[in-house]
Amino acid sequence: MAESEADVAVIGGGPAGLHAALVLARGGLSVVLLDESDTLGGQYYKRRTDQLTAAFGDFRPRGTELIHRVRAAGVVVRTGTLVWGAEDAGRTLFTSDVRTGALGRITTRATLAATGAYERSLPFPGWTLPGVVTPGFALHLATMDRVPVGQRVVLAGTGPFLLPVACALLEVGARIEALVELNHPYRPSTSAIGGALRQPARLAEAARYLLTLARHGVGVEQGARVLAAHGDTQVTAVDIGQEDGGVRQLETDALCVGFGFRPSTELPRLLGCDTRADPTGTEQLPVVDADGATSVDGLYVAGDCAGIAGVHAAGVRGQLAAHAILRRLAPERAPVRLSGLRRRARALDRFAELADRLYPLPTTADIPDATQVCRCEGVSAGEIREAAATGWNDLHGTKAATRAGMGPCQGRECGHIVAALTGRNESWAECFAARMPIRPLPMAATVEGQDVP
Amino acid sequence: MNQPDVIVIGAGILGASAAFHLAERGYRVVVLERGAPNREGSGTTAGNLHIQAIHTRRPGQEVPVDSARLLPLQRRASDHWSQIEERLGADVELRRGGGFMVAETAVQEEELREKHEWERKAGIPTEVLTGDEARKQLPLLSDRVRAASWCPLDGYANPLLITPAYLTAARRLGVEVHAFTPVTGIQRVGGDYKVLSGERSWTAPVVVNVAGPWITEISALAGVGIQMSPVAIQMHVTVRVPPVMHHLVQHIGEGMSVKQVSAGNLLIGGGWPAAKLDMEGRSTVSVPSMAGNLAQAGRILPFLGDLRLLRMWAGPLAATPDEMPVIGEVPGHRGFFVAGGTYAFTLAPVWGDTLARQIAGDPPADPVDDLGPGRLLHDDATTPVSP
Repeated sequence: MAESEADVAVIGGGPAGLHAALVLARGGLSVVLLDESDTLGGQYYKRRTDQLTAAFGDFRPRGTELIHRVRAAGVVVRTGTLVWGAEDAGRTLFTSDVRTGALGRITTRATLAATGAYERSLPFPGWTLPGVVTPGFALHLATMDRVPVGQRVVLAGTGPFLLPVACALLEVGARIEALVELNHPYRPSTSAIGGALRQPARLAEAARYLLTLARHGVGVEQGARVLAAHGDTQVTAVDIGQEDGGVRQLETDALCVGFGFRPSTELPRLLGCDTRADPTGTEQLPVVDADGATSVDGLYVAGDCAGIAGVHAAGVRGQLAAHAILRRLAPERAPVRLSGLRRRARALDRFAELADRLYPLPTTADIPDATQVCRCEGVSAGEIREAAATGWNDLHGTKAATRAGMGPCQGRECGHIVAALTGRNESWAECFAARMPIRPLPMAATVEGQDVP
Repeated sequence: MNQPDVIVIGAGILGASAAFHLAERGYRVVVLERGAPNREGSGTTAGNLHIQAIHTRRPGQEVPVDSARLLPLQRRASDHWSQIEERLGADVELRRGGGFMVAETAVQEEELREKHEWERKAGIPTEVLTGDEARKQLPLLSDRVRAASWCPLDGYANPLLITPAYLTAARRLGVEVHAFTPVTGIQRVGGDYKVLSGERSWTAPVVVNVAGPWITEISALAGVGIQMSPVAIQMHVTVRVPPVMHHLVQHIGEGMSVKQVSAGNLLIGGGWPAAKLDMEGRSTVSVPSMAGNLAQAGRILPFLGDLRLLRMWAGPLAATPDEMPVIGEVPGHRGFFVAGGTYAFTLAPVWGDTLARQIAGDPPADPVDDLGPGRLLHDDATTPVSP
């Protein structure tokens, strides 16, 4: 097994990880930056292929510049590297080469998890049909491959992310049949506007998207939701439940449904850090101080994996965590004034809280029994309710009884739904335990007797 | 039902089986479980039905099991398992695909032959095959396999299904199951035991302590000092693949068991130690144990190298100092029964039946006096609790 050492390992090459790695390396520490993908940037600073960049320009030039600075600062970049496990408060990381499966072990003095987030899906009848995708997938296709996910697209769910996805789809020539927002964020109450006005940049961004949509004649239908998708081998129609109780059916060839993002917290949870329920009440977030320090000494988290707050907050949080690690490992360095960063972090947090208030999640109570919840193992909402109704199953008992959450995604997709359907205790959000390997691990190297001392 | 005939402490496979067998005999039974049933040892075990003798030790196990002694009970267990789905009216993914126990060296091959003699005497059908004969039956076996014993009765039952199936059947017979009800005290009241869980209590002349890893703790509440210790071992499971292997494959010299379960995942175990036992939460897996267990399994079944490891977990088991199971009434504590230890999963139907017979005053189908708890008692802790 390949062994290596670094002062700090940063896991995740998105905005938080990049900003943190830069600060750490410039502070004189040896830094290894690990990412499962082939390229740095994460979901926000995604890299277009050279061909597309030549034809259409750089997707996010600021990301390109940040990555360039990170490399120039001497950060050891290891893309295509899965961190599948950790021990010793994160000071031992187990890795696997995504291509060869070769195992590795990294020893560090401190670790920063900047592992980002997943999109949140909620099941409804027909959500497993081909052509039903998440907004993130549609955005990826549109921006990375310049391919529209469909010719006639329905976008639905909740959250500000639906707006840029709709704009990106329009840009690659798709027609938006409907943009259906569950909540009423775009005629907010006076208090909410007050909060938003303190974030003029964010407000301007939303206004730009809404303007683009209006120019294309796309209105945002608020207070409406997707009830069901229909089709045989592919989605062909969508039922939209309207605010007045009516239902209308739209023909479509693609349906993008998303309900915001869920933090990717496996690594800190695996290492046993204290957690708390997130604002949606369906996730367990690592408890962190203002610098991203967890209850596990030497383990820090930053970015959306510490709570969904978006790209700008991730960058600031990454820098704050990096400064805290520098103070810890290189205290001889002159203290850095961080009041500006801290102020900015607090303001961005308030904006994230506003978003949580504007885009609440729907209840899971009305998911029909026949609807599949765990796609990997084919478990329906009814089966989960039945297992919970024995009275002797909690979330873990329900998993054991139904196999929900036992498939390749290990409950990353369905865990929050199973938890909501099972919930014995309303005062805290249970979630499936994080276990090694964090992602399915090719066994070839291990089975050949590769030594793990 | 605050005054049942029997209070069973622990809703693992032994508690569920005991409750079912007692209820079948007409006893009124209450089962108390600290968390969700089947959460700990029973729900985290490999689910192997060991009908041929396991001759090996868990890595780190100091004393060997007396394999020959257990064979009559394994023979009896085999018969119970054959009828279990019918008796419980449930599908527990029972599979009797038979099992190989492989040898890589001449010494191990000799052990296979010795074991085969014991099995023959106990009426358990096994045969010793050459490596080539074994590979003819299961071409996935590597060239390292020099010989293998074959037992058509070995198999698998889904540990996630069997305990709930027993509990459901027991409930149909009137058994009350109280989950999330940790026992906090046991008092002697006249000839009865009063079992407390916080503010709640149940009183019965008979208590069955089948609390698995908590067996010592629960016994201590009744003033009984039992020498058993929880150990955490770990399991490995691959992603689902199409059916490739119908047999259980074990190793005569080393702790190793491999099989494909009904869902299609390959399950790899062998009792390798976990990194840390945690009785309050989840125990921590050991990466060196993973590497050791997978390397060994891959040596015997090289196709495993093409698969992906989906998940690992650690679960507790309750070990006795002599590595033999324990079952029976505690001497000096009338009505206080314990059961657990080695082979608890395979023997669970037998132990449920045996406990029910002992409580009823009937002789067990196979004598178990030598496996009673008397041998595990601390000398200084056998004073009965005062009324």
